[in-house]
Amino acid sequence: MDFSLTKTQQQMAEALSNLGKYVIRPMSLEMDRTHVVPEAFMKQFVALAGSLRSDEVNAALGESVERPAPTRDKPTQANRTALVGAEWMAWADASLLLCLPGPGLGGPPIRATGTREQKKKWFGMLEEKNAAGELAWGAYGLTEPGAGSDVSGIRASCRKDGDSWVINGRKCYITNGARASWTVVFATVDPELGRGGHRAFVVEKGTPGFSVGKIEDKLGLRASETAELVFDDCRVPAENLLGGEDAYGSRSTGFQTAMKTFDATRPLVAAMALGIGRAAHEYARDFVKDRYVLSRPIARYHVLADRLARMHRKLEGARMLVWKAAYLADTGQPNAKEASMCKAAAAQAAVSACFEAIEICGAEGSIQGEHQLLEKWFRDIKVYDIFEGTGQIQRVVVSKRLFPDLRAF
Amino acid sequence: MPESAGGAGASVRTQVLVEEELAAGDAAVPFAMAGPKALGLALLELGSATQRDRILRTFVDDPTRVGAVAWSEPRPSAEPGFSTTARQDGDAWILDGEKAYVIDAGRASTYVVFAQIDRSAGWSGFGAFLVDAATAGLTVGARAVTLGLDAAHFGSLKLAGVRAERLETADVVRATLRFFARVSLTVAARAVGLARAAFDTTHAFTAERKAFGKPIGHFQAVAFNLVDRLVDVDSARGLVWRAAWTLDTHGDDDAAVLSHCSEAAAEALEAVQRCGADAVQLHGGAGFVRDYVVEKYMRDSKQLALCAPTVATNDALFAAISLGQPLDGALLPTPDIQPIFT
Repeated sequence: MDFSLTKTQQQMAEALSNLGKYVIRPMSLEMDRTHVVPEAFMKQFVALAGSLRSDEVNAALGESVERPAPTRDKPTQANRTALVGAEWMAWADASLLLCLPGPGLGGPPIRATGTREQKKKWFGMLEEKNAAGELAWGAYGLTEPGAGSDVSGIRASCRKDGDSWVINGRKCYITNGARASWTVVFATVDPELGRGGHRAFVVEKGTPGFSVGKIEDKLGLRASETAELVFDDCRVPAENLLGGEDAYGSRSTGFQTAMKTFDATRPLVAAMALGIGRAAHEYARDFVKDRYVLSRPIARYHVLADRLARMHRKLEGARMLVWKAAYLADTGQPNAKEASMCKAAAAQAAVSACFEAIEICGAEGSIQGEHQLLEKWFRDIKVYDIFEGTGQIQRVVVSKRLFPDLRAF
Repeated sequence: MPESAGGAGASVRTQVLVEEELAAGDAAVPFAMAGPKALGLALLELGSATQRDRILRTFVDDPTRVGAVAWSEPRPSAEPGFSTTARQDGDAWILDGEKAYVIDAGRASTYVVFAQIDRSAGWSGFGAFLVDAATAGLTVGARAVTLGLDAAHFGSLKLAGVRAERLETADVVRATLRFFARVSLTVAARAVGLARAAFDTTHAFTAERKAFGKPIGHFQAVAFNLVDRLVDVDSARGLVWRAAWTLDTHGDDDAAVLSHCSEAAAEALEAVQRCGADAVQLHGGAGFVRDYVVEKYMRDSKQLALCAPTVATNDALFAAISLGQPLDGALLPTPDIQPIFT
């Protein structure tokens, strides 16, 4: 494993660091209050990202071109590059990152299960719109009011009717769900079949029978849109079934698609958590540093320094796990266990970094201000131990790898 | 061992792999084996190239030789600095005092002994000295009985008018901090090995041992604990590998070397203690009796955490670097505050 960044990755980190410091963070509180990321900014960002495109970045963004799967002999840097981007964007503003145009969480399931034509169509649609200066998003609809961690318990139904499928049910907590041009939606042909009954569809915005319900008001990530999606006899063409009908048969392809999505997204979410955790650590470190010259080097000061060190090494330890998960993916090796381990560790380290940072800064840590974003990061970070599988679910996933004959707890 | 001294010149990355594997077998073994060990690390940082190659070559020529480093002292000194003193006598130096918590005291053929040269300069007024075991005035105390790492040899030294050669170092504080960074990393790699062994043994036990009709590992409280310990092992190993990589590729960057080694050590030494204690806990009564190996793992893990600058010392060092404070003698693992084994 190499511990240095490629030149492209270094340049990207530097560019995002400046963008975060001078452009994004100054807008952070306003976006948090209004729940809106300025459209002008997003258009500029899309144009900027387009101008910076290289093969490495393209692969990380998941464009429509087919690429051979990586192997140990022919590794890529795609996952590692995506991590660097995710961490620095989250370091700047995590909710803005979730609002950026592109396939978002809808990308990985299409990449994992979609046919060549489907990849071309759905990724291509977003690329064309974004290139034309029209902002376009994809989304991922899995969670339901009655099924969160237990993915196999989804109740949204789908039935084949001639050349189309009819979907009924509700999806909740869907990032960019209201604005997305299309959403990958999971439904079941028969709840009794469990995982074997799952099907994944791409549902286009504006499809009759598909409407947006409530937009959630949240603790953190307030600029990010979290929507409820309602499907009422929503009819989608048969070619929108991800992977085509043959891909399912008796196997649990639908469920596997959801799981493969997690293998790719969990390290990314972990990297975002590290970005927020690092921001909190830097804030508290600079706070302590500024006061050192004024204070005598008394024991209280040393206790704070000690907590800073511990906070940092917990984040760095988690970072090693995140890199390992990405390294496995970039060399074409299975990484489900490592993806869960890094997600659990990074979320835990980052949540406690934000908690600790506020305590280190004392009263000042809880004040909201243009250059005082710590209280916002504290609100933003909590969901990182919840979405993409809670910390407990990550431990269930790893437990099953440790005990292969363990069916369920 | 550098090639210039007739060694293989292996990378630090290779060394940490070897240390982990040895310690996974028995954590005391890498301490008990013959070789220059900590003395070699001291010579890499504290000696001139000539001194380093001259002494290390004797270990290549005779693989049964053992090296040791005498750092800690039995009692804190009244003033900052070591109680053990060094005074110049012509070309040689004369050492007087007592050293404690010395690994391989009595087994070593050559020692590096730290002693105070300038009392008024406190923790920057000391030097490191080469002492041959056969030198007149050097006596060895009894082997200590310890909590763990039973196969290793812990002892003490008395020095009465011992003639020694001073290791030539431009900046003794910087060189000593770097020496302890290497010690920390070495012990951290061993900690990863021991933590892994404790995890593997416990994982196997919890898959076998049945209660309430199923393996105890199939209970969430047990499985989740194992997952957390696996996260400990893997993240500590990642930090150890990164620190080794830093020494191999950016070895001159003091801040990077010291901060990466200190993070790796603090994390690994905490991780191994959690793995050792939880190994006993998850074995239940079986963990407490000596028929099973895990009680030894728990003892060894605590002992191991004392064979490098402690978690607190390494955290303080990291904090000082990240807060931009000067790298001075106050950051050394000085025995006036906390003695450690070297």
